[in-house]
Amino acid sequence: MKVLIVNNMAPFVWGGAEELAVNLQKNLIIAGHDSEVLRIPFQWEPASRISSQMLMVRALELWNVDKVIALKFPAFYIRHPDKTLWLLHQYRQAYDLYDAGQTNLPPGQEGDDIRTLITNADNEAFAESKRIFTNSEVTRRRLKKYNGFDATVLLPPINDPELFTGGQFGDYIFAGGRINGMKRQHLLLEALARTSSNVRLIIAGPPDSPADGDQLREAVERLGLGDRVKLDLRFLPRETYAEYLTNAAAVAYLPFDEDSLGYVAMEAATTGKALITTSDSGGILGLVKQGETGWVAEPAAASLANAMNAAFADAALTRSYGRSARDLWSSFEITWPKTVESLLQ
Amino acid sequence: MKIALISTFIPFIYGGARNIVEWLQAMLEKEGHQVERIYLPQIDAPDLLFQQMTAFRWIDLSSADRVICFRPQAHLIQHPHKILWFIHHIRSFYDLWDNDLYRGCPDDEKHRGLRAALHDADTAALREAKRIFTNSRVVSDRLKHFNGVDSEVLYPPVFDSERFYTRQYNDEIVCICRLEHHKRQHLLVDAMEFTKTPVRLRLCGSSSSSHYPDELERRIAELGVCDRVTLDYRWITEEEKADYFADCLATAYLPEDEDSYGYPSIEASHSAKAIITTTDSGGVLELVQDGVNGFVTEPSAERLAEVMDKLYVDRELAKQMGRNALERLDEINISWSHVLRRLLA
Repeated sequence: MKVLIVNNMAPFVWGGAEELAVNLQKNLIIAGHDSEVLRIPFQWEPASRISSQMLMVRALELWNVDKVIALKFPAFYIRHPDKTLWLLHQYRQAYDLYDAGQTNLPPGQEGDDIRTLITNADNEAFAESKRIFTNSEVTRRRLKKYNGFDATVLLPPINDPELFTGGQFGDYIFAGGRINGMKRQHLLLEALARTSSNVRLIIAGPPDSPADGDQLREAVERLGLGDRVKLDLRFLPRETYAEYLTNAAAVAYLPFDEDSLGYVAMEAATTGKALITTSDSGGILGLVKQGETGWVAEPAAASLANAMNAAFADAALTRSYGRSARDLWSSFEITWPKTVESLLQ
Repeated sequence: MKIALISTFIPFIYGGARNIVEWLQAMLEKEGHQVERIYLPQIDAPDLLFQQMTAFRWIDLSSADRVICFRPQAHLIQHPHKILWFIHHIRSFYDLWDNDLYRGCPDDEKHRGLRAALHDADTAALREAKRIFTNSRVVSDRLKHFNGVDSEVLYPPVFDSERFYTRQYNDEIVCICRLEHHKRQHLLVDAMEFTKTPVRLRLCGSSSSSHYPDELERRIAELGVCDRVTLDYRWITEEEKADYFADCLATAYLPEDEDSYGYPSIEASHSAKAIITTTDSGGVLELVQDGVNGFVTEPSAERLAEVMDKLYVDRELAKQMGRNALERLDEINISWSHVLRRLLA
């Protein structure tokens, strides 16, 4: 079957959604299908041009395609008789972020009109889709709440599980992934300053901006943590990232209210590492069960320090949490062959 | 520099129009530029043309420092620094309009109106461009004739031309391109009936259907030339192709009135081999000069047989013409360094 994956792109920006599309393509081909990715440019600033870009997608014509899998707003407006959505997110600034007062839509009538337009167009696109999957429970609930459509959660599998086997039980907590304020690596440093001196930490990943990196370096300096922290602030080769992860004692990941489980957490669980997170971190709580697969701290330095101390206090317990994390993750049965099968139903 | 390359495509159909984009991308990235490649779907059905053109007008690529547009209707994109490497019009509404077989729609009032509107829209979009390059004299002439715009010919080089080399000048004329009626391999087969020397012929390539290859096979049998003709009906690898060109006596490439010179004739030139073509082959004549770097004959079996014999008998001539073919590439600036210099000027 000729399966076209339809995604948006912000020109010159490559992120998780692009990676997901490429891996979906790869796995469709492994399953014996033809697959290509259509990437449609989309710029959400200025908001006054959103509506023409929605129409743009609607005006495109497809030929020589048996099935479409669309991932995002406004890519899912593409017209095709056999369209399945794997919804990564809607235009949140017209929905939950609007309710939270975080929108780029203009105030007053103009913004209301754009919001109505998006809701109506979304509803039409959802109604004409053969099936709708979402990438997380949060996305599913949001779709139900704002648009009234049911969907099935289909969590994205990890892309290179073969990298996350083996390794040692090391003497550090590992925090990987992008570095920014929302991921709160700085909070880990504040907590580390309150732990016993045998707790060590490696933070590794690309800072979103130079300021994000500077903030961490400054905190290490200020808190005098130089001998207990390693900062490796860059885009890491996958093998390097996997080496840090597979040799850690435990893995910490505390984003603020994320939709999905997060690759960091899924990869840590695949490796069999105990997890440390916070009660307001969102999707990852599906994988971190207090006292079973890891520790769920309050989003404050003192509470987090207790969790970090605990991870080092009883190595046998920490290892058993790691095994439970792997078992829990395996029980979800989230693999590419199963995912491809669901999407082509 | 941030450069967006924009072209149109039909999903799951791969060919020359993608090569020029993807090879340029590789060359630009090698030079350290940030490149984003965008393919948008485009189908030429008359009733859907303008709706798709509207979509292209709405695309926002303002994050790119410059855009380079290829296959139609990518040139409709709006950008303050728009460069065109124009490879063809929607030909059914241009040079093929007077051909009832290729026009694909009736020559009636409605379609004449569409045609006029298309010409106007194209001309306006062409005039927005900072610079217009084409892939051949033929296309430049059409732009002048139909749209009244001037352009510069920028011949597309082949990728990684260093892999072509010269090993010997054996007894074989090779023709490596798709086996299609308009590529006229049948003329070469027919010529083998008239050759007076033991010169051999090798035809390699895949085909859109087995109809034409079957016809060639029958013809070879009928004429009793199978001991001197090899028909290799398959997609040969790039390595095999380089070897065939390295060893052959000369190449033959005689498409019926093609726009551009065709990659096979460039690949043969890089291998220092003479090119046999015909007076009605179109763009190939921009490359091949009769008696200098090959032969330009009437499209008849007898004439083709004469030049094949001539090359067989006079190996020194074959070598000299081969050397001239290699020099001809420099003479008309077929090189990536020239292409990059002009596109980035």
